[in-house]
Amino acid sequence: MSLLSADSRRDMEIRRYPLLVYALVPLASLVLQAWLPRVVGRFDWFDLPLVITVYFALGRRSPIQGTIMGAGMGLFEDALSHHPIGVNGIAKTLVGFLAASVGIRIEVENHIVRLLLNFSLSLLSSVVYFFTYRFLLGLALEWSWLTELMRAVGNSLIAVVLFPLLDRLQIRE
Amino acid sequence: MDSFFARYRNLLVLLAILMAQIAGLAVQVRRSSAGTNTLDPSDPSGVRLIRLWGNAIVSPPERLIHGTKIGMESMWTNYIDLGHVRDENRDLKKTVDRLRLEQAALLEDARQGQRLQALLGFQEKYIYTTVAAQAYGSSGSDRSHVFYIDKGAHDGLKPDMAVITADGIVGKVRDVFPHTAQVLAVNDATSGAGVILETTRIRGILRGDAVGRLEVVGILADQRIQPGEKVLTAGGDLIFPRGLPVGVVEKVIPDPERDSFIDILVKPAAHLERLDEVLVITSTEPRFSPQEEQDLTVSESQKDVVPTAIKDQVKASEIMAEKLPGLVDPNLPPDQQPLHDSSNPNPAPQPPQPLHADEFSPGAATTPAPETNTEPAPKPQTKKPAAPHAAEGNGGKPQPAEVSKPQTPQRRNP
Repeated sequence: MSLLSADSRRDMEIRRYPLLVYALVPLASLVLQAWLPRVVGRFDWFDLPLVITVYFALGRRSPIQGTIMGAGMGLFEDALSHHPIGVNGIAKTLVGFLAASVGIRIEVENHIVRLLLNFSLSLLSSVVYFFTYRFLLGLALEWSWLTELMRAVGNSLIAVVLFPLLDRLQIRE
Repeated sequence: MDSFFARYRNLLVLLAILMAQIAGLAVQVRRSSAGTNTLDPSDPSGVRLIRLWGNAIVSPPERLIHGTKIGMESMWTNYIDLGHVRDENRDLKKTVDRLRLEQAALLEDARQGQRLQALLGFQEKYIYTTVAAQAYGSSGSDRSHVFYIDKGAHDGLKPDMAVITADGIVGKVRDVFPHTAQVLAVNDATSGAGVILETTRIRGILRGDAVGRLEVVGILADQRIQPGEKVLTAGGDLIFPRGLPVGVVEKVIPDPERDSFIDILVKPAAHLERLDEVLVITSTEPRFSPQEEQDLTVSESQKDVVPTAIKDQVKASEIMAEKLPGLVDPNLPPDQQPLHDSSNPNPAPQPPQPLHADEFSPGAATTPAPETNTEPAPKPQTKKPAAPHAAEGNGGKPQPAEVSKPQTPQRRNP
């Protein structure tokens, strides 16, 4: 893991994708996230919009873009649930910002790094969600940390498989 | 100043977006009179608009995927896997015939029940009209147990309508869009339904826990509650009609928050994780629907059409009854009945005579009690039929006792 200055790494390795990829991949993640739990039953230990947010934030290396993307994905997820709109939004906004900030500073091509990043950011997202719901809004919430842990593991494994596939969609110069 | 914004641009954007979302959250939460925060059940217009957009964008591709899956499954079941369809059809026809006969037998009971309920002023709500819908999507999160159906406001759906399957209850309509609706499943932590245990008649509130299991809460510890007992809807929540199956008791655990209370884990009757077809109860009425009336008419017309085999069995039993000797012959006087025949080698044993006869002794009911000098017992306040007096005034002929009818108050004209 090599440490570079933020500007030099960002200038060197900003990834670019066709516009259609920016539109279709997040949409596909939202649709699959809504549909797949009906197929896999109660084993829906994954959060595809979060994985996609982390991927684009790491690839673009722009905290602002990561923030906006995280906020959009989170708000979409909230809109499909019956919970207040903004809880997931806040969690994924922070995840997008942090992922992009980390992506500037460290090498993220390594599978182990991707795995650990997704695991830790998934847990962070759960903590922020829990904090916002329980303490900021003061609402009652049934919570299972074991499920959140399983979800973090699921997200990490999906990221290891999905990131190389999405890498193929980037524009090569 | 420009350098400040340029330097902290990322952080400022982050803070601005976070603050906007926190402000948006603030308008969705209400402070209840009990001092606790609750989520406003009626979404503000802006929030509802976001939900509408989210649904409008995600639903079409989701329905397309679901439709493709259903199409492939139906292609398999309709064209390839047809091996047992004919046998199944034959079995179903037999079942329909049997159910028609059973329905005819139950018809009178049902009508009698309705008459009695009307007399008691109690109106049982029957499921009147339902709309069949296809479940196609979910919230995508196990923190929110909601799913989407392909029927909406244009099909007459409204919030708080009950959603069921043939197996049991599923949830209630939470939000209605033009062509779709969001259903809150019964295993969500924010859900609630009044339920009753079938045998012990203990009532409780059904809801979901953190991992989506069904549990009945708010029940005092009771040894009679055993695994396997059926759980039904109690009908007091004004959403689910009474008596719908909910599930069976799986386990009884102590309430972690309150002593002497227990929680009952319930195995749901409906497959909540794999829902396809559901029924939305759009109205409940205190009468049978036209379809049910038609079914009952068909059953009534077929009630007399007893199958030939059953007719033959009845006829054979009647012939056997005529030929076999009976203990009571309606054509003979009482002293010549076979029961009192002295030539009978196996006479019926006489009951032993009691040493001290009391009111329970055989024949005591018909023997008048001897008059004594003690004071007469006070008359009971309840009304008795006037049959004995009527018999006296009618030349000793016994008259049938009148059936007491509930007195309805006379309506006064203004």
